[in-house]
Amino acid sequence: MSSPLARSPIPPGPATERDGWEVDARVPGGPLTLSDETPLAKVHVRAPFDGASRAALGVGFRRTRRADLGAGEVLVVGSGPGEWLVLGAPGTAGALRAAVEQRLAGTGEFTSVLDLTHGRALVRLHGAAAPAVLAGVCAIDLADAVTPDGSAFRTSVAGVVTDVVRDDLGGTQRSGAAASDNGGVRSYLLHCERSSGRYLADALLDAGRLSGLAMTGFRGLA
Amino acid sequence: MMLLPCPWCGPRNATEFRFGGEAGRRPDPASASPEEWRRYLYFHTNPAGWSTETWYHGAGCRRFLTVERHTVTHEVRAARDTATGTTGEGIS
Repeated sequence: MSSPLARSPIPPGPATERDGWEVDARVPGGPLTLSDETPLAKVHVRAPFDGASRAALGVGFRRTRRADLGAGEVLVVGSGPGEWLVLGAPGTAGALRAAVEQRLAGTGEFTSVLDLTHGRALVRLHGAAAPAVLAGVCAIDLADAVTPDGSAFRTSVAGVVTDVVRDDLGGTQRSGAAASDNGGVRSYLLHCERSSGRYLADALLDAGRLSGLAMTGFRGLA
Repeated sequence: MMLLPCPWCGPRNATEFRFGGEAGRRPDPASASPEEWRRYLYFHTNPAGWSTETWYHGAGCRRFLTVERHTVTHEVRAARDTATGTTGEGIS
């Protein structure tokens, strides 16, 4: 019997299989795109806001950093007070959860590490005009001075509670320190409950129609 | 639009919050009389002026906040995390 195929709440265009997931087969490209990144491994961590766990994860509230926690390169996001979201390559959720648990085991703090991969939706809005599209459905100031590359916040996006992570691609800044201009292309990861994923993608496509926003294939963290 | 200054997230639209009513200490369930429970649940000061309220930031930090708000002008002069007392200074 073949192994089950996981599907995103956002229906793909031409589909192909990757690491047990049905993903959009289109080659990522275009000046302004929306891609379904739901297959990325998503591990949620809860721990004291300002303790040893924060030091172990290496990032604080409202910030992100790229790191290798023992399961390949991941993006660690300080998504809330005492909350972290760790994003990794598709198919690595189990290993990533184990690696994070192992890393936090020595802190002596009460922590919880949970694999949310199949319970959440994740999309990437990518392109120079991405802030203009996002501004149509989100009330946060997206200027570099307020939300530079490597910043994260949770807010209402088109009425959906969403973790918004600015993760510019193609630039020089990858460590998570504040950078307003790293030469990269504006890119936002938007993470929400799985049941709201399709609506969020449709709302973003609707908001970006006049800007030429188009759906494209899976990009991943690279 | 009414803005509330979340100590964790910064100024946010009030639609991101859920109003939790006037802040106050819950009576001890083991010793409170029915009269005390009724007063706690149903009798509120409802001032036309400064009021200390509880708000829940459901679309942001998901924390309960204690906010001092003027009910006539909607001016907010203080906001802190109800559990930790965090006022937003020094968060990074």
